[in-house]
Amino acid sequence: MRIFRSSQLRLGAGLLALALLIAGCSASAKNQVYFGKVAPPSDNTLHYVSGSEPESLDPQIGTGQPEARIYMSIFEGLTEYHPKTMEPIPAIAERWDVNKDSSEFTFHLRKNARWSNGEPITARDFVYTFHRGFSPKLASRNAYLGYYIKYAQAYNEGGVFVRDKKTGEFLLVKDFKEGAAKTETPAAEPASASSSSAPDTEFNKIIKSPERVVLPGDEKERNKALEADAKLKAAVEGKEFVEVKATDIGVEAVDDYTVRLTLTQSAPFFLGVMAHQFFRAVPQKVIEQYHEAWTQPQHIVTCGPFKVETWKPYDKLVVVRDPMYWDVARVKLDRIAFYPSEDNPTTMNMYKAGQVDAVLNHTVPAAWLDMVRPLKDYMDAPEVAIDYYQINTKKAPMNDKRVRKAFNMAIDKDALAKWRRIVKPLTAFTPEGIFPGYPQPKGDAFNPQKAKQLLAEAGYKDASGNFDPTKFPINQVEITYNTQESNRIVAEFIQAQWKQNLGLTVPLKNMEWKTFLNMRSKVEYSGFARSGWVGDYMDPFTFLNLFYTPAGDNGTGWWDPKYVQMLDDANSELDQAKRYEKLAKAEAYLIEEQPVIPLLTAATNWVKKPYVKGMYPNPQTLHAWKFVYIEQDSSKWDQGVPDMQKRAGEFGPDY
Amino acid sequence: MFRFILRRLIITIPMVIIVVSLTWGLVRLAPGNFYTGEKRIPPAIEKNLREKYGLDKPWYVQYARMVKNILMLDFGTSLKYEGQSVNSILARSLPVSATLGLLAYLLALVVGVTAGTIAALKQNSRLDYASMALAMLGISLPNFVLGPILVLIFSLTLFILPPTRWGGFPSVNLILPVITLSALYMAYIARLTRSGMLEVLRADYIRTARAKGLSEKDVVFRHALRGGLMPVVSYTGPALAFLIAGTVVVERIFVYPGLGTYFLNACLNRDEPLIIGIVAFISISVLLFNLLVDIAYGFIDPRIRY
Repeated sequence: MRIFRSSQLRLGAGLLALALLIAGCSASAKNQVYFGKVAPPSDNTLHYVSGSEPESLDPQIGTGQPEARIYMSIFEGLTEYHPKTMEPIPAIAERWDVNKDSSEFTFHLRKNARWSNGEPITARDFVYTFHRGFSPKLASRNAYLGYYIKYAQAYNEGGVFVRDKKTGEFLLVKDFKEGAAKTETPAAEPASASSSSAPDTEFNKIIKSPERVVLPGDEKERNKALEADAKLKAAVEGKEFVEVKATDIGVEAVDDYTVRLTLTQSAPFFLGVMAHQFFRAVPQKVIEQYHEAWTQPQHIVTCGPFKVETWKPYDKLVVVRDPMYWDVARVKLDRIAFYPSEDNPTTMNMYKAGQVDAVLNHTVPAAWLDMVRPLKDYMDAPEVAIDYYQINTKKAPMNDKRVRKAFNMAIDKDALAKWRRIVKPLTAFTPEGIFPGYPQPKGDAFNPQKAKQLLAEAGYKDASGNFDPTKFPINQVEITYNTQESNRIVAEFIQAQWKQNLGLTVPLKNMEWKTFLNMRSKVEYSGFARSGWVGDYMDPFTFLNLFYTPAGDNGTGWWDPKYVQMLDDANSELDQAKRYEKLAKAEAYLIEEQPVIPLLTAATNWVKKPYVKGMYPNPQTLHAWKFVYIEQDSSKWDQGVPDMQKRAGEFGPDY
Repeated sequence: MFRFILRRLIITIPMVIIVVSLTWGLVRLAPGNFYTGEKRIPPAIEKNLREKYGLDKPWYVQYARMVKNILMLDFGTSLKYEGQSVNSILARSLPVSATLGLLAYLLALVVGVTAGTIAALKQNSRLDYASMALAMLGISLPNFVLGPILVLIFSLTLFILPPTRWGGFPSVNLILPVITLSALYMAYIARLTRSGMLEVLRADYIRTARAKGLSEKDVVFRHALRGGLMPVVSYTGPALAFLIAGTVVVERIFVYPGLGTYFLNACLNRDEPLIIGIVAFISISVLLFNLLVDIAYGFIDPRIRY
């Protein structure tokens, strides 16, 4: 008995101590203003979790956002992203001119830009960058971003021109399109050549001439294309095929400090794409000398505000301020240390313990939101990203538009957004509130009655004409998503919504990421597949573009030439407001056809220490690192989300 | 003994090739590619990529090339990490995993053998029950629970230890991961030692030693331990091989750039050369460690002769 009691006593004492410890933890949690330790580093180094391990330091190879954040520290392009609004601001190009219909961009480079080894950066470096980026040997996955540049796609895909052996003339597109060709470049008029702010050159005359026909370089593909078009086949007879070379692309170094881009069609949003990592300058001599090994720390040469100091993969990448950078006076940080971490709770632990000063977006796990969201270092702002469910429009019963609309209407998106807490409900296909001045259409509202009615109309009804859930082929439909906590809880919520509002229980199916991608892109799923899209640039077109072709990122099997026409129409519109109206009309058409179920506009959801300034929760969570600094004076620290209003001259006289 | 070792070494080669071939087949069967991403790539670029990495050749050509590489111990270049050879990745990540694994096992050995021996000597006492209960806890508690709990207490509440990152050897960064990793092995070794010792302590020769008047210390250390540790020795071989090859969960929790991290990411990325390289390395290690264990038997147990 005595022994029993003493061990009981010990157990009781142990439990009491544990309880006190836990109480102490939660008590201290209630009083905290920020999440975890707040002690600014004394060495003027920013410690940042960028995301997963970068696959390469080559800006034309790495495709993800984690890589983008690193590239933005060591490479610069013609333009850079504004820290708050993502608008293009001068970088290596100090100013630019766009012709009237946005089919020609002329960039004037500053004369004091230098590589990290001291050599000057010239227009020829950018021509090399573009040529290399589109080269089929490099096989860059981001090359598609530049396909608006004339013949870039042809070169990248290994296409060929068709040339008459005797006259040396190329076969032209306009000879094959009837009427006013939509592909006929407006630059075919001599007037626009003079609207360029740079002098006309031989190359310019050639590139502005009417567009040439491009055929696949692979003989089998080419013959297939020729068999399909008799007129084309006849015209090709007796002519020779000339490989499209890098020098045929619409990029020109007019002189040492002027770069001119010629596009295949009007693309007013194209300027916003120029800050993408794919278009950042890469050093020709180093690449030609070391080939794939050029990015190793002992060889790499960079052009950004920082340069590579040390790199231990999966451990730490340290970049140090580059004294050769043209704007080095404005760069306040001495170093940035990038840490790769793929586990969100681990990243948050690093942040809490003070090992890192800021983290990337989407890091706060759903279960932690209640605790972290009210704190003053939580960054909450809308993102240029949407979540939606793709619908396989080729398989019954989803090939019936009424069925698709019914399922869309049977989800209470406001409830979904409220339950997720950090997102906004979405009924259309572009993120809400991101594009100022864009008259975004509204999709169907939550209406379970109408949903049931539509399903009845589609044929799933009982004798009295009301919707009968038992008649619906539920075994043909499921929700497929890649295995991840956030996807699962959303899928379960939607499953519950449909059960509640339609009486249908749609089964859930989850699988590993690449397996899922494979299935989704081949449109092999039944019913719905979870999807999301982050904008490549700040224009609604980056979302509406997804349905431009039936293949690619479409994933639904839906395609309508009328929609494509509406998009092309909008892009050739010179007036910005009218263009937005036309894009909105195209978007309205898209959501009326309902090949997708829009769910929500994402939110940034990350944390940064209050002493990190110049870093903003912008819509892409991409930071121009030269503006970031560590504030030692605690009275100047950020109390919550910093002011996102754009103020002229805030970051410098020319921004 | 020498012929035994030679025979075992020779048979390693075909065994590794079989393991690697099976792995290669599985990787090929898995849907998705190293270039499959959220944004689809145009078919022409996909063709370029496949040509660049030699994936457009027929499967038997690629298989033959892979086997040749294995035999020359050159595992090629990673598909995901541009320009990095698999050998360099192995050279970089192996020391991290090996340090973590060896330290964890050392700790597990020291604590486990001690606890198991004491438990065996004081069988059915409170100490015995307590240590075996604790061992049960160590075996049942997964390391992805233990790790974060330790981090929560020592890094996020008391702020005395860093929560993540590899700090080289020796450093405070090693403390939490080593404890987390060793818990399971510690518990297992304790139980193995206890049962091994219990069996040995009942043997006749131990009774003789005690009858001769030897001190308990001599009985245990000079006579009983040799036989009692046999189960631990056989457990050590494969356990150590897998420990050195990296433990994915612990490396993920503590963000260690070790072999386990690379292995997991290689599988998820469908990075075939890296997967094959790591699998080949692990199978060679397991086979070699088993050989070492078998040789050790010969020295520990006089009944075994090769």
